Amino acid sequence: MLTNKSEELLREAEQIVAQCERCGNCLTACPLFKVVNIERVGPRGKNILTRALAQGGVEPDSKALDVVNFCLLCRSCVEACPSKLKTDAAMVNVRQYLMDKAGGPGIKYKTLGSVMKSRNVVKMAAGMLAVLRKTGLNCLVPYGMAPEEYTREQLPGASSGPAAFGKQAAPAEIELTAASKVAYFYGCGMRMMFPEAAAQTVEILKSVTRPMLKDNHCCGLPHLGHGLRGDFLELAKKNIALFEDADVVVSDCASCSGTLKHIAEYFADDAEWKDRAAAFSRKVMDLSEYLVKAGYRPRQRVEARLTYHDSCHLGRGQGVKTQPRELLKAAGNFVEMTDADTCCGGAGSFHMDYPDIAAKILASKRGNIEKTGADVVVASCPVCLVQMTKAAEASGGKFKAMHISQVI
Amino acid sequence: MISEEIKKSLRRAVGAENVLDSDIDRFGYSYDSSSMPILPAYKPDVVVLPTTAEEVSKVMAIAFAHGIPVTPRGAASNRTGGSVPLEGGIVLSLDRMTKILELDEDNMMVTTEPGVRTIDLYNYCAAKGLFFPPDPASWKVSTIGGNIAENAGGMRAVKYGVVSDYVMALEVVLADGTILNTGGKAIKNVTGYDLKHLFTGSEGTLGIITKATLKLIPMPKQRGTLQIMFKSLDAACATIQKMLQENIVPAAAEVMDKTSLDIVSKKRKVILDPVIESCAIIEIDGEDQDALDAQAKRIEAVASALGAVNFQVAQSQSESDELWAMRRGLSQAVAALAPNRIGEDIAVPRGSFPEVVRRIKKLGEKYDLTIVVYGHAGDGNLHPTVLCDYTDAELMERVHKAIDGIFEAALAVGGTLSGEHGIGISKKPYIVQALGQAGVETMKVIKQALDPKGILNPGKIW
Repeated sequence: MLTNKSEELLREAEQIVAQCERCGNCLTACPLFKVVNIERVGPRGKNILTRALAQGGVEPDSKALDVVNFCLLCRSCVEACPSKLKTDAAMVNVRQYLMDKAGGPGIKYKTLGSVMKSRNVVKMAAGMLAVLRKTGLNCLVPYGMAPEEYTREQLPGASSGPAAFGKQAAPAEIELTAASKVAYFYGCGMRMMFPEAAAQTVEILKSVTRPMLKDNHCCGLPHLGHGLRGDFLELAKKNIALFEDADVVVSDCASCSGTLKHIAEYFADDAEWKDRAAAFSRKVMDLSEYLVKAGYRPRQRVEARLTYHDSCHLGRGQGVKTQPRELLKAAGNFVEMTDADTCCGGAGSFHMDYPDIAAKILASKRGNIEKTGADVVVASCPVCLVQMTKAAEASGGKFKAMHISQVI
Repeated sequence: MISEEIKKSLRRAVGAENVLDSDIDRFGYSYDSSSMPILPAYKPDVVVLPTTAEEVSKVMAIAFAHGIPVTPRGAASNRTGGSVPLEGGIVLSLDRMTKILELDEDNMMVTTEPGVRTIDLYNYCAAKGLFFPPDPASWKVSTIGGNIAENAGGMRAVKYGVVSDYVMALEVVLADGTILNTGGKAIKNVTGYDLKHLFTGSEGTLGIITKATLKLIPMPKQRGTLQIMFKSLDAACATIQKMLQENIVPAAAEVMDKTSLDIVSKKRKVILDPVIESCAIIEIDGEDQDALDAQAKRIEAVASALGAVNFQVAQSQSESDELWAMRRGLSQAVAALAPNRIGEDIAVPRGSFPEVVRRIKKLGEKYDLTIVVYGHAGDGNLHPTVLCDYTDAELMERVHKAIDGIFEAALAVGGTLSGEHGIGISKKPYIVQALGQAGVETMKVIKQALDPKGILNPGKIW
């Protein structure tokens, strides 16, 4: 259904891309353009297409939707653009507009949205994946979405999606005190794919505070990214209400924290929710951001050589780059990799929608990890970690992949 | 329209995956980085992405046989509409020909395919201590083939010249598909007509560049940056003139006017002394720090004799970056001021630089427009930028009159229409004024001889 709201989203997108000078600086930064160098794939092509859609020069059909869907929303282009033009925000708007025009997203994203919307279904899915993993049948789950876990217990022996937002979410400016009430935000990806890592997060939080454990809802990013904006807003309201008694909300998933930090922007015109949303967004922190502020020291120091992959949503999306490195330097022998902040190709469901392209992007990431000679590559996002695990397998065991909570 | 039969032969020539003809892809190859509106779109009938000269040759043979227009293209970063397919037909995108074929250190030359990005070529040579000087502002994205076709310049042109000063040999596919090799590695290569320079700057209208051998020079060992503030634009220009007369040749010498300075300082939240009316940013290079210090000292003497109010030498790379950031941030800062802008590119004799700036300022007052002026004062290349809004017809009429005036001002002092961006579509109306009837007719005869069916980049230059 096409509402005034979707037309408005297209207008907003048009205003963003109106600043595109077509200079092409974004082309060299875009990981997708590197793999498929066709104009429509690059950010410039997408910006100009958006302009043409708004001005009536291109049909708003499924082909246009394919173009805007084929984006990692990784913000590399935003960083490379001399005007810092927010192509990612424009793409999210245009996706919503085109999906509304087509009568909603296709069955795939509707199903995905429904799964992620229900706490019970997420838990069920998590349970099923746990069983599959225990029985060794996890290899049957496609796209590496039920990865073999490499746990913290194994670490000492080791010496041998995307942000959908207009601007970077500033690191939180919360003052921490001993009395701060800290809540843990349990992300769907962490719950389903990396429950052991999530358990480690809780253990770490318990060592510095008394974390509130809540049965939270999905952050809504998958919905926002796939034309289900209404669902995103609904989930956001539920989470805002749920965490009203917390002073700090800590997430160990880059995508969740990135999304939650931006919720305020979506309620700016909503008299009822505006202040509550702003208060909520202000208290969100990424795990490493929180830990460094809280003065946490890693539980162990291993001889393993560690390298770090910056998730797009954490590094470019939130500016959290130094904190994870600081923690890793204290936990092991840290070694920086080339292009640590280049997207791994995971990008939410991108790696499932376009597995061949994601594999090509991941191949260069793997090369960079291997060059460091690292034993472990660390990430702070479950989708990145799925990709890192695939890279680790492809490397034939040269390195392992772990979530940051398992290393520190 | 191109028939399915012809598309089939194109697919056979370059592989099906390298031929695009969906509506969205055709739209994607309908624009470049010029100020032309994107709609109505000049969509090509088909986009062909060859990877070898032989493939280019086959495509041209097909196009020639059927009289199909061909618009060659690199990264489409050019500013004058040169890669817009005005008459449809084939867009021939060369950005997949990305191999650097040979670095000949003995002869100090590099041979490359056209789709290599300029900065990549620069870095590749720099790693061996060799220097490819042309540095157009677009060098991160523009391709070397496009740079040759447009005879691009850059900030270092004052000392090191433009691309044509480095072209030693070219492989060119002609309109009918013939592969021509011209020039060579011999420095003294004066046999016959100088065809390599005929194709350099020909804007894709005479042939398709598929390979180039470029001259390199030793990489300067040290670089330094100076920033000098003046009470007037004339003083900044006079300082650069005087430096050159005294044989102090900077690698780059950029000048910004008061409007540019105001915009940049606002953007960067810097407060400038109100007496400052212009700024020169100068890059010097040399063998060692002593050579740089000596140059800086001599420049300071010249500048202070001409009334400079502030003279600053960057003490570190980051300070140098900071100084250049002021200049580099300009285009972006200007772009943010209005919905659209038209950036021009005129070149005038160095001595006329202040006079032309004054004339342009008057045009801004006359037509009530904001015109920002900055440019490469060291080589007389200016980029007057007119702020505008394409949706405001009345305003655009004034904008076009002002642009006519800018070109008139350049030609009146013996200057020319383009310093580094070419003519393309946007400056066609002024070409006779710039080159004279005989000049244009002579070029047309050459065009007719090399491209008798007029299929190569039709609608450009004149």
